[in-house]
Amino acid sequence: MSGRELKTKELTLSLGPQHPATHGVLRLVLDLDGETVVKCTPHVGYLHRGTEKLAEHRTYMQVIPLTDRLDYISSMANNVGYCVAVERLFGIEPPERAKYIRTIMSEMTRISSHILWLGTHALDIGAMTVFLYSFREREWLLDLFEMTCGARLTVSYGRIGGVRNDVTQEFLDRLYKFTEEFPGRIEEYETLIDQNRIWLQRTKGIGILSAEEAINWGLTGPTLRGSGVPYDVRKYAPYDAYDKVEFEVPIGKNGDVYDRYRCRMEEMRQSNRIIKQCIEKMPKGPILTPDAPKFTLPPKDKVLADMESMIHQFVLITKGPMTAPEGEIYSAVEAPKGELGFYIISDGTGRPYRMRLRSPSFVHASVLPRLCEGSLIADVVANIGTIDIVLGECDR
Amino acid sequence: MTIKGLAKKIFLIEILKGMALTLKMMFTHAVTRQYPEEKREPFPGFRGLHALVRKEDGTARCVGCGLCAAICPSQCIHVYTSEGVSHEKIVDRYEIEVSRCVYCAFCVEACPFRAVVLTDHFEYAAYTRDDLYMGKEKLLSNWDRFMAGKKGNEYFEKFWHPLSSDFSASGNQAIFKKINSEG
Repeated sequence: MSGRELKTKELTLSLGPQHPATHGVLRLVLDLDGETVVKCTPHVGYLHRGTEKLAEHRTYMQVIPLTDRLDYISSMANNVGYCVAVERLFGIEPPERAKYIRTIMSEMTRISSHILWLGTHALDIGAMTVFLYSFREREWLLDLFEMTCGARLTVSYGRIGGVRNDVTQEFLDRLYKFTEEFPGRIEEYETLIDQNRIWLQRTKGIGILSAEEAINWGLTGPTLRGSGVPYDVRKYAPYDAYDKVEFEVPIGKNGDVYDRYRCRMEEMRQSNRIIKQCIEKMPKGPILTPDAPKFTLPPKDKVLADMESMIHQFVLITKGPMTAPEGEIYSAVEAPKGELGFYIISDGTGRPYRMRLRSPSFVHASVLPRLCEGSLIADVVANIGTIDIVLGECDR
Repeated sequence: MTIKGLAKKIFLIEILKGMALTLKMMFTHAVTRQYPEEKREPFPGFRGLHALVRKEDGTARCVGCGLCAAICPSQCIHVYTSEGVSHEKIVDRYEIEVSRCVYCAFCVEACPFRAVVLTDHFEYAAYTRDDLYMGKEKLLSNWDRFMAGKKGNEYFEKFWHPLSSDFSASGNQAIFKKINSEG
């Protein structure tokens, strides 16, 4: 070989949009030097449905099913986020019982979202067993959703000024049983992977983000908390019943894939604690506010008996809340993925003039090049998993 | 590294623990269902295939007000009406594009007459799109197949919201009851 140079060149590899490890339709264009990633370019937009534009043509109530389809594995949290934003914009106060029900539902969603994340993340890295175990508990939660609102994924359960329908005694009993058994199930997951040497080698020291960097990239949720920043919307700007329950915000130390995994595991325990407290504290009372007749549908038993209710029914459904005051608001909730923000402008008609979404997945997808560049190609999959993105929310 | 740590590393303790859990699961009940053979009843109030309510006299209860079509977020309901001889409203066509529906049940919520309903039937795959474009007769026959009799009335009593009771506290609401946790 003396005297002849071995020629090498970079290889461009397209990962996705059909690759199963990209959790949907994310496409990464990777420039490879051997096994090292030199450049990573995320391409988003394959699941773009124009949610923001669609919302401008729908009444405030009709937007609720659209929000289901943002982060489709945690639709309950999106419903709550949207309803909280509209309620803050128009000064509606939901009743106490509705707040507790919403808190329960948000936390159930958080658990089911984290369980799905755990299963698929572990499956991507190579631990298949956890996937099967985690889906067992997810099924339990989805059954509970079905029992309350008749749908398992696209729930459309939140309403402006409350929730769709009341929870049943059977639901509460079953959920309480779940909260008592779930910590044991988390221990099962941890038995399988927490100390597993392959898992540790694939996660420890991979995708490190310092606290400062994580803040600069605009990360939120467990992805930020894994780097040691205790930012949680539930603590900083409490909505619903979060100021009435006790919980801790788990944070990581090193900001690597393993710490973010630990964060989410602890978060599931805290969510479980919140659900338990909410069930114990939940009062009796209305589930829809009686103070905002211009925004909530009138009671069905009055629609054909009472002239005013009938007019409300027809106007609300065909035109939306016509007397909605003008104004604009940014309101954020802590969705399972991070800070989910709704920026809504009302121009006094029954429809939002503009609805802008601050979706955590989109922000998190932007940090992928930073995480992947310089790392090995096998770790790209771990990095996609650790930021926990859902493309429905990313592309909107 | 301590001796304990070394022993753990050599004897694959954490991997054996994981495998012990897997082995333990062999002696528990299976959680999976063999779906087409083994079916689970959906919970009451499940939002599945649509149906139009048939009255006792055999006609549809729908009066053609069009509120369901107005609230439908995916605009998949089409109602066409005309004027009868004594100036009453006649529903000529009532069509639902089932394949475009998002199953939010807003149409049930909007209807003031209990005329449209989502049944708990969810296995309606078809070979052509025309089969999923349902007219009035098809929707009425859905009612006969899945909801007729007591079931339909129970559905409306439980899942037709909001009711006056949702705006005020009532005595029989579900709250936490202390379960005997001894033993």
